[in-house]
Amino acid sequence: MSFSLANIDRRVFYWILFIALMVPFLNPIGFPIKIAENTRDLYEGITGDSVEPGDVWIINFGYGVSAWPECHPGVTVCAKALLREGAHIILMGPHTDVELTYYHLLDTAKEDFDAATYGEDYVFLGYITGYESAIAQLASNMRSVYPTDHFNTPLDDIPMMQDVNTWHDVSGVLSSDTGDWGGYFLTQWQEPYGVPMAQIGIAMLGSTGIPRWLAGNYFGMSVGSRGGAELEMLIDEPGDAIIAMDSISVSHLLIVIAVILANIGLLLERGRGS
Amino acid sequence: MAYPTATTEIIGLWTGWVLMLMIYSYPLYKENPVYRFAEHLYIAVMLAVNLVVNFSNVMRICIRPLMGGNITLIVPLILGIMIYAMLIPEYRWVSRYPIAIMVGAGFGLGIRGSIGPNIQDAIVSTITRPTDGGTMAWINFLYIAVGLICSVMYFLLTYEHSGALQAPTRLGRLFIMVALGAYFGNTVLFRFTMLTGRAQFFLQVLKLIPM
Repeated sequence: MSFSLANIDRRVFYWILFIALMVPFLNPIGFPIKIAENTRDLYEGITGDSVEPGDVWIINFGYGVSAWPECHPGVTVCAKALLREGAHIILMGPHTDVELTYYHLLDTAKEDFDAATYGEDYVFLGYITGYESAIAQLASNMRSVYPTDHFNTPLDDIPMMQDVNTWHDVSGVLSSDTGDWGGYFLTQWQEPYGVPMAQIGIAMLGSTGIPRWLAGNYFGMSVGSRGGAELEMLIDEPGDAIIAMDSISVSHLLIVIAVILANIGLLLERGRGS
Repeated sequence: MAYPTATTEIIGLWTGWVLMLMIYSYPLYKENPVYRFAEHLYIAVMLAVNLVVNFSNVMRICIRPLMGGNITLIVPLILGIMIYAMLIPEYRWVSRYPIAIMVGAGFGLGIRGSIGPNIQDAIVSTITRPTDGGTMAWINFLYIAVGLICSVMYFLLTYEHSGALQAPTRLGRLFIMVALGAYFGNTVLFRFTMLTGRAQFFLQVLKLIPM
């Protein structure tokens, strides 16, 4: 029986992939990372003259635990940058595991959150449901969506939230997404009221987010873990994304090689058939 | 982040590590009882977490304020309860009213904000010539412009795609295929990033790399 690429057990590829992904963690390769313009715009939009001390920013955790490698490094950098500018941060999210993401952020940006005070510099409102309707309502009356924060403290008793209740009191929105929530902020906050917003999305969202950045709807856009790595470079603090980039690049190379091999195999099979 | 020192955290870490391997036993080996146990456990835990979080949320945003005197919240509460009528076949029609309200509200809100960013701004940015960026910006601009026009022409279904329409519609189909391919590629690569995260976790728990 002649050898055929199509006859190779798919588990062979899975094993190669699983092992190949680990190697760069053990022996970093150091592939170069070029900073994209959309990522730079995002970073510049949350630093320097773009942010005044006391500005209130929303960070929406539109991702669950499974998407931490894609979204969390970017969110970590943005939270660090905003806290260092003296901005106040409202944290919230539509996933039921949002509490885990919140505590993970406190861990990954530990020094900055340790230096900040809960209720004065940042607040965690917790889980939100209701999709676009809830985001629209959040713009007109936050207390109707969140009567209390995640820890059941009424918003009126939280110093940072005393004068914050509508879109008018918020300087900007950063939505980190695996799905549609950034789009809800776009249609219910940015479009009707002009609230500046940016997205820290997974790679899939690049194809919808980049046109919005080009159109000026988003002031910046971070795409996937690559965007997270670029943000880590911009803030000059290498973190999880930069460490993972070598492994991700290897996975991409493997896919490209697999696609080329599969096509060669297909052509060979066709050649034999004819 | 540092490797946990508390016993409960270490147990949690290793439990996650073992469960991850149990799940990966399916693609790396074959379907087996160990995989099925981990799969069922995962679904059960997710359901339980969803139930608790959503119930707590209803208590927080509706029941407690209602008890505190905000009587208007009785309306969404009743509407929410009405949805459960779909579980009783003879009263299923009751659930249509809250669903109709939700769909109507969602549709109305969606339309309000969609036209600007998703249609108007997208078209304007597509047809606006680049002011900087040099040759590559112009190539990109022309590529997007030609791609947009040809792709839209492909959906021109009231005329036969022949004669003058043949070339642009075929080009449009190619652009659509390239776009779908890129979208699918991004989807696959997102999954690979998730796998990368698991590979990192695998090594971190074994203390082969720092946490």
